[in-house]
Amino acid sequence: MSALLDIKDLKLGFNTLAGYVDVLKGINVSIKPGEKVALVGESGSGKSVTARIILGLLQEHRDALVSGDVQFNGQNINTLSPKDRASLRGKDISMIFQDPTSSLNPVFTIKKQFLEVLSRGDEKLSRKSRVDRATQLLGTVSITDPKRVLNSYPFQLSGGMNQRVMIAMALANHPKLLLADEPGTALDVSVQAQTLSLMRDLVTQNNTAVLFISHNLGVVREFADRIYVIYKGNIVEDGPTHCIFNNAQHPYTRALLAAVPRITGTGLPDVPEVSDEFLAPYVGHMQVS
Amino acid sequence: MSILSTDLLSKNFDTPAGSVHAVRNISLDIQQGECLAIVGESGSGKTTLANMVLGILAPSAGEIYFDGELLPSKRSKVQRKAIQLVQQNPLSSLNPKRSVGASVRLGLDTYNMGARSNRWSVVEHALESVGLPSEMRHRAPSTLSGGQRQRISIARALACEPKLLVLDEPTSALDVLVQARVLRLLNELRKERALSYLFITHDLAVVRNVADRVAVCQAGEIVELGDTEQIFTAPEAAYTRSLISAVPVVDNDEMALRNKLASRE
Repeated sequence: MSALLDIKDLKLGFNTLAGYVDVLKGINVSIKPGEKVALVGESGSGKSVTARIILGLLQEHRDALVSGDVQFNGQNINTLSPKDRASLRGKDISMIFQDPTSSLNPVFTIKKQFLEVLSRGDEKLSRKSRVDRATQLLGTVSITDPKRVLNSYPFQLSGGMNQRVMIAMALANHPKLLLADEPGTALDVSVQAQTLSLMRDLVTQNNTAVLFISHNLGVVREFADRIYVIYKGNIVEDGPTHCIFNNAQHPYTRALLAAVPRITGTGLPDVPEVSDEFLAPYVGHMQVS
Repeated sequence: MSILSTDLLSKNFDTPAGSVHAVRNISLDIQQGECLAIVGESGSGKTTLANMVLGILAPSAGEIYFDGELLPSKRSKVQRKAIQLVQQNPLSSLNPKRSVGASVRLGLDTYNMGARSNRWSVVEHALESVGLPSEMRHRAPSTLSGGQRQRISIARALACEPKLLVLDEPTSALDVLVQARVLRLLNELRKERALSYLFITHDLAVVRNVADRVAVCQAGEIVELGDTEQIFTAPEAAYTRSLISAVPVVDNDEMALRNKLASRE
């Protein structure tokens, strides 16, 4: 099966007051239709900018220099016109952010925001059918009183509720690719666990491909089919989830795995925050497909 | 000997929609040198409890004893100095306009500790004790990494020579590798200085590895309180089990523990 998203030798740099900063140093990532892929790394490793390049946002940034290939569904996002890129966003590619409450607009009701998302998918849809569709979609994310939620402002709902609204909105127009940037990190663990399993079920039903961005390997274990580990702008290791968890080879991946505190109480590991070993060459696991 | 104990501590907030019981009749104690963790979801009352212990909020009912004496609603400098706080987000809890050294020194000036001429060297010593170079005192918080900033927050609290540290989600804003280092540092400091910790967090995996005892809070009440080992291997409350089983796990031993707890539901 050919890839839905195929990133080849992607480089990114910023011109800043302090000079040129190298952020991505030539990364390769590919995602098949319906595949759930995680991109894991620490803050500053380049994971969020990768998502913003896929959305076509950084290509339009004055001080950002993007090079390489970002093939999405047969077109190169890097060379598309700004207008064509904009038409992908919210339809073929959508995104869920870390803090659901601050990523929804506080001055509009959920209804107003949801209807806008739906008319982006189909301009001809009548208001009534959009309201019906929004109500039905909120049902799919286990919201039992969609009417109340639609008439609420984001600050009147809990973080978990807003997160589910975000998921429903992001999947409303049947995107081919969903970008999830640290979804639910701002939420309680139990709420995060519920919303992640909900999201996993929905994307599986809709055959939506997902790029799941996180700094915590533990969070992606039950979600992802495949994992890319990114460190300082380079992919250092990638492979199927079970390979990464059972047979990690790269020193950085091993450190990331060791550093996660265990509920079995095995103590706090003595791993360094930074080490020259983390700069070891890339390790790829055999693709079983 | 217990360093802190609370007796039927409660806090109500009056809102237009009626009275909200944020904390209800919480009685607990922390022994000298102990780390007691308070876990619960947002809204369970853990931060309200911490604010009462710190004297930021006055309890609606109940009493707080520290080092054997009843803490009054208006505390003396000596009493305030003895209980210090490390907050969740070091970027917003350090003054961006002040050098980190000046932030660390503020407590020394406030509580009039030692000779004025000696205070900068106390600051430098505090920075070294958390593994930072003493020259760092001239830097602004914005030039430091998240882990360095959180070490500054810890140094700031320790410079006041407290007996009890209240740690409110001290590592939840940090990367996992940085979190592991900061938690190790906190463990070492507690042993070296015979400090006591009130450790507030929603991360049970962290609790398992740092706390001696755990209090599980739900809707302002303690639903379970016990030794860490016992809470994780044989939790009594269904709520505790559900919290533990929501923790993302990395290895097969953890998975086995989670499945064992889930089968008891």
